Amino acid sequence: MKKQNNGFKIGCIVLFLGLTIYYLFPTIQWNLEQRHMNSMTETERVQYESENMAKLQNLRERSLSLGLDLQGGMYVTLEVGSPQLILELAGDFADEYLEEVIQTARQTSIDNNTDFIDEFVAEFERRDSDAMLSRYYRSDSENITRTSTNSEIASYLRNQQTAAVERAMEIIRSRVDRFGVTEPSILQQGGNRIVVELPGVDDEERVRDLLRGTARLEFRLTPETEEINSTKQQVSEFFSNYEQDEEDESSIKNLLEIFELRGSNEYVFGYAAERDTADVNRILEHEDVQNLIPRNTTLLWGATPFASDNGVDLFELIAVRSQIELTGDVISEARVAFDPTTNAAEVSMTMDSEGARRWARITGANIGRPVAIVLDGHVYSYPTVRSQINNGRSSISGLGGVRAAEDLVNILMSGALPAPLEIIEERTVGASLGEASIRAGLYSIMFGLGVVAIFMIVYYRTGGGIADLALMFNIIFILGILAGFQATLTLPGIAGIVLTIGMAVDANVLIFDRIREELRGGKTLRAAIDNGYANAMSAIIDANVTTFFVAVILYSFGMGPIKGFAVTLMAGIVASLFSAIVITRVIVDYLTREKASAVSFG
Amino acid sequence: MRWFESPNFDFIKAQQKAYFFSGTMIIVSIVGIIVMGLNYGIDFRGGQEFVFEFEEPVDVVEIRTELAGPLGTVPEIKLFGSTREILFRVDSEEDVTATRELILENFAQLYPGNTVTVQKTDLVGPRFAEDLRRGAMYSIIFALAVVFIYIFIRFKGWWFSAGAIAALAHDVLIVLGIFTIMAEIAPFDVSINQALIAAFLTIVGYSLNDTVVVFDRIRENSIIYKTMNFKDMINKSLNDTLSRTVVTSVTTLFVVSVLFIFGGEVLKGFAFALVIGVILGTYSSLFVASALVVELQKRATVKAKTK
Repeated sequence: MKKQNNGFKIGCIVLFLGLTIYYLFPTIQWNLEQRHMNSMTETERVQYESENMAKLQNLRERSLSLGLDLQGGMYVTLEVGSPQLILELAGDFADEYLEEVIQTARQTSIDNNTDFIDEFVAEFERRDSDAMLSRYYRSDSENITRTSTNSEIASYLRNQQTAAVERAMEIIRSRVDRFGVTEPSILQQGGNRIVVELPGVDDEERVRDLLRGTARLEFRLTPETEEINSTKQQVSEFFSNYEQDEEDESSIKNLLEIFELRGSNEYVFGYAAERDTADVNRILEHEDVQNLIPRNTTLLWGATPFASDNGVDLFELIAVRSQIELTGDVISEARVAFDPTTNAAEVSMTMDSEGARRWARITGANIGRPVAIVLDGHVYSYPTVRSQINNGRSSISGLGGVRAAEDLVNILMSGALPAPLEIIEERTVGASLGEASIRAGLYSIMFGLGVVAIFMIVYYRTGGGIADLALMFNIIFILGILAGFQATLTLPGIAGIVLTIGMAVDANVLIFDRIREELRGGKTLRAAIDNGYANAMSAIIDANVTTFFVAVILYSFGMGPIKGFAVTLMAGIVASLFSAIVITRVIVDYLTREKASAVSFG
Repeated sequence: MRWFESPNFDFIKAQQKAYFFSGTMIIVSIVGIIVMGLNYGIDFRGGQEFVFEFEEPVDVVEIRTELAGPLGTVPEIKLFGSTREILFRVDSEEDVTATRELILENFAQLYPGNTVTVQKTDLVGPRFAEDLRRGAMYSIIFALAVVFIYIFIRFKGWWFSAGAIAALAHDVLIVLGIFTIMAEIAPFDVSINQALIAAFLTIVGYSLNDTVVVFDRIRENSIIYKTMNFKDMINKSLNDTLSRTVVTSVTTLFVVSVLFIFGGEVLKGFAFALVIGVILGTYSSLFVASALVVELQKRATVKAKTK
């Protein structure tokens, strides 16, 4: 009976070892390959990589991956802006009242940490209990009619939000793929957050623009020059006798102090130094000033400085029509091109047939007048239309260089984001800090293991030696479990392994102390071992189950690297239970049967 | 080698001293936390944090005073491992790249010729920080609740649950207090961040481990020695398991000390919390949890009798 039992245990050990080796094999191979590749020259390596592409790719994917804190890279959490999305879904029905409701609901949802859409519907109904949301969201295609109830619309909005997050993830994935990152990870977190992990990336600014860029491309006409001139005239008159009321905080500065009401051509409203643009915006938003500007005119800043004055960049404010003639949706293809005369990088775009038809109509009707190309609220260029354009071609110039042009092509081709994304968390770890962490982690594991192993042998003699052997298995099992579940090894994860080394021997300590007690009670070695294992079991189980619970909780609430810690802790508990109870038992049984005299528990 | 072969300490009698010691520690911790405020790190407070590595050693105080002007606020700066590396935390509304460039420009002026590399950049939005804070709080409360329920089911007595939870809360509160009081003087980062919450939960798990082993022995002894009074039985159980408690504490203390010494700068605070936690956890399972169980059980039976 006893023998059979051990046969089953040995079978289990062999099975687990086999599985562990199976899962860890790609990791070992991958490390060998990397070592091999590092010894090659640059050209050899490139050739080797291209020849063994599929194999290397496969190995890398199946090997135990390191967290960003160990290999360096960028970790970004993005949030989909629900308030903006809800406003945009209302489309042309949106009005100031709706904006107000959205603003209030946004604030309440932040203050109380509640769902924005719930707050939005509640706020809407609070203001007027009879009001119908269908006023803003009726749509034939979505089957929302005038009589749709508010709760129907709430669920419609919720679906739209889910769809927006999914779409945003797809777009980000496509952008990241085009950017060329190895092993990026893009995951949804909660209702409206997206976590993007980009190993090996440290060009934060570029990545940030790439992730956040909505690339809202608009084509707009410009107002008549007489109209612009008369507006300038009025603004000039308004401010010529104006003095800021220092007492009143809402009072605005005199625009003329920081703004010149002239520019390089007649479509320019004026210019200002870069540092003053925010102040200019604030002044222009003021009600008194808004009243001077015609309703169908919008003032937008140029994307690049038009001149500089003693090293200070000057930006022009350009007058365009408020109405958007055509948007970036119609772009079917975009690529980097170079201006034939200046050789500056630009983006050349082709429109789909519907876009091309409208583009032909717009250009045909406005020959001799400029069309402004606006990207994310900045005017990139406003070339004058010379003739009707029938092939749907247009281009964006005034970009910061080839790289900026490439990124813009990427964003345009990936599609526009359904709602603006906000970066709420960003962490970048340099590769050298990662390497230092790996080294520190390895040292800790080695030292920790060494100290504990020596102590166990000194304290428990043969028993300690057996426990040490189990400890080695334990660490291999943990790595195997991590590889098998495709978990990522992080620095806190390594800390978890080190900690497990200290705590894993606990089960053996419990058992061996129990055996000593039984021996003291006068039992034979065999009986003491049997009783020791049996009596220690309930304490071992209780202690480990509770710790496991704690690890699970940590896993569900923790983020990023902390999750890695929780995972190794869980893996450590499972592995140490197995090795401390099953593996040591088999060895102890074998030794007592073969040469009982050699077995000592100190 | 054997430690505590057949010990016969009166742990319950030491209760008075233990209560005094723990009580003092808890009061000091609470006063410290109230007076100094919890020293939230970037995870829970939001803001921007960088690790810069210089080629030559730099002076933290000088950097702090020199950069307060350009940044418009006094940054928090600590050495990060060596005198060439610093941890730089600042609350800024500016774009994180803009802040970093501003800092680097000022470094270039302050230390011409001393090259700086950016090792780490962290940005946490204020609202996200609030979410992380909430998550951390929930996880600790949740962990304690689960522990309470599990022990209640396994050991069939609410006084076991209450004793265990009180011991755990005791450990976490004192570690928190020590971290708060050390905020200004520690030579490494002791701010409260996500890693520290992980350390807390690990301490909870570890301390619980110790407590549960003792409880398990109480359960066993209460079947064998039916006539022994509750207090003596607990004392016997503590003595029976003492050797194991000490050995496990020693091995665990070994590894967390190794982690503290060799684990690198990133893990310093985390490992430090574990070192204190292991010591406190061992102490509390020997002197706090069981003593409380005796006390609570006594009161519960007295109440039951008077009814």
